[in-house]
Amino acid sequence: MSGSLLYLSGVTKSFDGFAAINGLSLVIMPGELRAVIGPNGAGKTTMMDIITGKTHPDRGQVFWKEKVDLSRIDEVAAARLGIGRKFQKPTVIDSLTVAENLELALKGQRGLTARLFGRSSRTMHADIMQIADRIGLAASRNDLAGTLSHGQKQWLEIGMLLAQDPDLMLVDEPAAGMTDEETMRTAELLRSIAGHRAVIVVEHDMDFVRALGCKVTVLHQGRVLAEGPLDFVSANPEVIEVYLGR
Amino acid sequence: MARLIDRRMGVFLAGLFILTVALPMASSAAAGQLVPAYLVSLVGKYLCYALLAVALDLVWGFCGILSLGHGAFFALGGYAMGMYLMRQIGPRGVYGDPVLPDFMVFLNWQELPWFWLGFDRFWFAALMVMAAPGLLAFVFGWFAFRSRVSGVYLSIITQAMTYALMLAFFRNEMGFGGNNGLTDFKDILGLDLTAASTRTGLFVASAVALAGGLMIARWITASRLGRVLVAIRDAEERTRFLGYRVEHYKLFVFTVSAAMAGVAGALYVPQVGIINPGEFSPANSIEIVIWVALGGRGTLIGAALGAFLVTLAKTVLTGWLPELWLFALGGLFIMVTLWLPGGVLGAIETGLTRLRAFASMRTKEIET
Amino acid sequence: MKIVLCLPFRPYLAALLMALLVVLPAAGRTAGFEELVERLPHGSYADRAKVIDAISRTGDPRAAEVLNALLEGRLHARKDDGRIVILVDSAGGATAIDALSGENLGGVLAGSTEKIKTNNRLRGMLRTAIGALSLMSPDRETRLMAAQSVFASGDPANIEALDAALAAESDRQVATALAEARAVAILDTDAPVEEKRAAVAILRARGDAAAQAALAPHASDPAIGNEVREALSRIEQAQRVWAIAQNVWYGLSLGSVLMLAAIGLAITFGVMGVINMAHGELVMLGAYTTFAVQEAIRGAAPWLFDWSLLIAAPLAVLVAGSVGIAIERGIVRHLYGRPLETLLATWGVSLILQQAVRTIFGPNNREVGNPSWMSGAFEIGQMTVTWSRLWILIFALAVFFALLLVLRRSFFGLQMRAVTQNRPMAAEMGIDTGRIDALTFGLGAGIAGLAGVALSQIDNVSPNLGQSYIVDSFMVVVFGGAGNLWGAFAGAFGLGITNKLLEPWTGAVLGKILMLVFIILFIQKRPRGLFALRGRAAEA
Repeated sequence: MSGSLLYLSGVTKSFDGFAAINGLSLVIMPGELRAVIGPNGAGKTTMMDIITGKTHPDRGQVFWKEKVDLSRIDEVAAARLGIGRKFQKPTVIDSLTVAENLELALKGQRGLTARLFGRSSRTMHADIMQIADRIGLAASRNDLAGTLSHGQKQWLEIGMLLAQDPDLMLVDEPAAGMTDEETMRTAELLRSIAGHRAVIVVEHDMDFVRALGCKVTVLHQGRVLAEGPLDFVSANPEVIEVYLGR
Repeated sequence: MARLIDRRMGVFLAGLFILTVALPMASSAAAGQLVPAYLVSLVGKYLCYALLAVALDLVWGFCGILSLGHGAFFALGGYAMGMYLMRQIGPRGVYGDPVLPDFMVFLNWQELPWFWLGFDRFWFAALMVMAAPGLLAFVFGWFAFRSRVSGVYLSIITQAMTYALMLAFFRNEMGFGGNNGLTDFKDILGLDLTAASTRTGLFVASAVALAGGLMIARWITASRLGRVLVAIRDAEERTRFLGYRVEHYKLFVFTVSAAMAGVAGALYVPQVGIINPGEFSPANSIEIVIWVALGGRGTLIGAALGAFLVTLAKTVLTGWLPELWLFALGGLFIMVTLWLPGGVLGAIETGLTRLRAFASMRTKEIET
Repeated sequence: MKIVLCLPFRPYLAALLMALLVVLPAAGRTAGFEELVERLPHGSYADRAKVIDAISRTGDPRAAEVLNALLEGRLHARKDDGRIVILVDSAGGATAIDALSGENLGGVLAGSTEKIKTNNRLRGMLRTAIGALSLMSPDRETRLMAAQSVFASGDPANIEALDAALAAESDRQVATALAEARAVAILDTDAPVEEKRAAVAILRARGDAAAQAALAPHASDPAIGNEVREALSRIEQAQRVWAIAQNVWYGLSLGSVLMLAAIGLAITFGVMGVINMAHGELVMLGAYTTFAVQEAIRGAAPWLFDWSLLIAAPLAVLVAGSVGIAIERGIVRHLYGRPLETLLATWGVSLILQQAVRTIFGPNNREVGNPSWMSGAFEIGQMTVTWSRLWILIFALAVFFALLLVLRRSFFGLQMRAVTQNRPMAAEMGIDTGRIDALTFGLGAGIAGLAGVALSQIDNVSPNLGQSYIVDSFMVVVFGGAGNLWGAFAGAFGLGITNKLLEPWTGAVLGKILMLVFIILFIQKRPRGLFALRGRAAEA
C-alpha cells in the first residue's frame, strides 16, 4: 500500500508443522496507533518476531517503508532501521542506573570503537533527562534499574524505546502487572507517543485497549479475524466466539 | 580518568606496589634473607594466576561468558614463552644439537617444524604470547558467538576445546614435547633463570603485568562499551533489540581476555620452569572460575584476590594435608555459589552498605 | 639290557616279548595297540618308525596321547620292569602315568626311567601322525583344532589322513575345516589342475587372512595363477568389509558406553535443565559399588560370583540415586534458574566425591572381575565380539527402553513431564514439584550408577573414572539435543560409530580430537543439537 510504514502480506510461519502465523496480512501507516488482540496462541508473539527480524517467514512478504525486505535481516538490523520492541516481561539492565539504561538505548553510536573511546556529550545528557522526565523517572535516574518497581521497569523500557527514536514501536502487554492508575497513565503515554511514530500494542486488558482508542486488529489462529474500532470488532460474532466470549 | 582508579583499585594497587618492593628486598642477601628466596617465585606465580583470574572476570563477570577453557589460553601463552626458552638453550641441551630441542633430537627429527621458526627472537615470542591465544579465541568466538551459542552450552564447548587441545598437546607428533612438555630452560634474554636477580625481575614483571591487566580491564569496563557488556550479561536479547551487534562485543572482550591470559601464562612458565599439556586439563580451567567467584565476580580486584587466596590455600593444604585439599576446594565451590553469590568482596560491600544505611537511619531517627 | 633286568621279575612279560620278537618281521600290522607300545623302546630308529606308523593306524583312542608324549620326550621305559610310562611334571618332580592303563604310578626318581629317543625324522613323522590321529578323535573340539593345525602346516603328507577323516566326519563345521586343510595341502602337490582349482575355490570361500596366506605363494603359479589372484582380490575385498563391520561393532560398543554415561545426564540436563558436573562421579560410585559387592562375595560366598553384577545393579542404583537426591535437595534445589552456578556447585560435589572415594578405597585401580558369562569372546565371520561388550550393548539398550517406558507410560513420568513443561500449572494441580524434582534427579543419578556397574567390566575402576567420561557424555547430550532421550541415543551411537570409523585413518587420539572439533563446529550450526525442540517450547 502506498505510503505504508509496515506492510505484511500472506505471511506464513510454521514450527514443526504447526502454523503459528497463517496468511497474515497487515498494514501500518506512519504515526498510527494500533492495538492487536487475540487469544493465547493466536500468533501475536510470532508476528512481532517476524516484524523485528527475529524469525523469518516461510512464505509471504514483509516490507518496511515499501522498500526494505524485513524477511532478510536480523533483529539488530531491524532495530537500526527504526523498529523498537518492548518485551512482555519488562527487560531492563538491572545493574545499570536508569540514566545508563537510557544512554545505552539512545540513538547513534552502536559500533565497538565508538563505544570504547567515545564520551557522553552534553546533548545526550539533555536528551536522557528529557526522556526520564517523560516516563516519570527523573527523580530516580541514578537508581539501579534492578531496584525499580514492576511498573517503573515497564516505563523505563518504554523510555528506552523512545531513546532509540524509532519509527515503529512494538509494545507487548505494557499494562501487565500494573495498577489501574498506572495502566491509564501508560495508555496516555502511548497515545502521546503515537503521531510522531507508529505504535503497535499487543494487549489482553480490554479497558486498556479501550483507553488507547485506536484501530484494533483481532488475531486468531495466525490470521486476521477482524479489524476496525473496538466497538466494531467486539460486535463481530466470530470475535465474540473465539475471544471475548470466553 | 578519575573513574579509572577508584578507591578500591587504588588500595589494591598500592598494596601490590608495596609487595613488589618489599618481598624481593626482604629475600635479598642484604636483608639477611628475612624470607626464603623461593617465596619470590612462589608469589610471582600467584601474581600470574591473579592476572589469569582478572582475564576470566573480564568475560564472565562483565559479559556473562562463563569460559571453562581459559586455562587453554593461559597454556598457549605459556607454550609460546616455553618455545622461546627452548630455543635459548641452544647447544647446551643433553644432545647438544645447536638448533633442535632435545625432544626433537630424541624423536629423530631432522629440522625445526615451521611453527617453531622465529621463536629464537624474544619480540616474536612476546607477540605470539598474545597472538596465539588471541587468535584461537577469535576463531572460536567468531563461530560460537555468531551462531549465538551461549550460557551453559558455551561453557561446555569451551571445556571441550581445552580438552581437545590437551589431547593434541599430549601427542609427540604435535611438536611441543608431548607428555613432558617443555622444560630444562636455561636463560631468558641472556639472563640466567636460576639467578636471584632474574627471579626478582620476573616477579616484578608479573606484578607490573597484573597492574596493567587490571587497568586495561578497568578501562574497558568503565567505558561506554563496558555498559554494553553489562547489558549483554543482564539481558542479551534486550541489547540486541537496541541495535547492538552482541557478537562483536563478545568477540572483542573474549579475544582481549584470551590475550591477557596468554601473558599470564608466559610469565608463569619461566618462574615454574616447565609447561606441559596438563595445563590444558579441564579441571584447571574450572579452578580459575572459583578464584573469580570467591573473590567476587565483576569486581576485577576481587578476582585477583580470590586467585591469591585459593592458590595460597592450595600450596599450604597440599603440603600439609594433601587429602584435605580437594575436600576444601569442593566445599568452596558449593559454599560460594550457595552463600556468597557476590564473593568475598561482594559480601563486604553489602555489609558496608547495610552498615551505612543503618547508620543513616539512626542519624535520621536522632534528627526527628 | 632292560629286558634282561626285568626277566626275573616278570616272567609273563618275557614270554610276551618273546612272542613279539617272533612277529616283529611282519611289521606288526596285525599287532594290538598295547603290544605296539611295548615294542617302542626297542630296535633302531627305522624300526621305531614302523611301530609309530602302526600305532597311528590302530585308531586306538590312547594313541594320540602316547605319540604326543613320545614327541615331547616324556615317554619313558621304567628301568626296573620295562613298563612304558608318561612322565608328568608335578610339584615334587616328575610323576609317572602308565601309558596303557592311565594308572598313576607315583613319583619317579631321576635315572630310574629311560627316555625313548626320537630323531628329527621321527619327530616330523610323529607330528603328522598325531595330527591325523586327532583328526579322528571322538571329541569334536579336538578334531576341529587338529583340522586347524593341519591347515596351518599345509603339509601334503596329511592328505591321506584328511581324506580318511573327511569320509568319517559328520559334523559340518569340522568337515569344512578338514576340506579347507586338505585344500591347502593339495596346492603344494602335483595334483591335477582341476583339483587345485577346486582347492582355490574352497580357500576363497573361507576368505580370511589365513586363506590369504595359504593362497599367496601360488599367485604366480602358471596353471592356477589367475584363479589364485582373483581369489586373493576377492578375499581382500571381503576383509575390507569385515574390517568395517568390526569397526562398526567397536563403534556400537563405544556408543553403548557413551549412552550409558550420557543418558542419566540427558535426564538431569535435558529434562530438568540442570548441569550436573558430578554425573561422572555418580558413575564412579556405581563402579565402586560393584567392587564392594564383589569383595563381599569373594569373602562370604564365592559361588555367588557369577551373580555379582545382578546383585550390584540395584545397589548401585540405590547408592548413586540417594547421593543424587541428596545433591538435589541439598544444593541444586537452591540454584534453579541459575545454570552456571549449578555447574560450579556440582563440580564442587564431584571433587568431594572423588576425594572421598580416594580416601576410602585408595588412589589405585581396583580389580573388578568379569563373571564367567561375561568373559571370553566369539566370532562372527571374521569379526571378534567379546561377551562383555555385547552384554553392555544389550544392557544399555534395555536401560534406554525401560527409561523411555517410565517417562512415557508411568504416572511418575507423566508428573515429571508436567513439571518440566509447566511448573506453576503442575503445582496448581497438586503435584509436589519439589518431590518430583528430587526423584527426577535421583533417577538420572541412579542410571549413572547402573552405567558404573557396566563400565566396571571394561574400564579401570579408579577415583578418576568419572572424569574420563564427563566431557564425552556432555558432548553426546549437547550433540543429540537436550530434552530428548532419542537425541542422546542418536548422539551416542552416531559419535561412537563415527569415532571408531575414523580411528583406522587417524589413530585414536587424533580421531577423538577431530570428533570434538566436529561437535564444536556442529553446535555452531545447530546450537540446540540434533533433535532440538523448536519454536515456543525452545524458549520456555
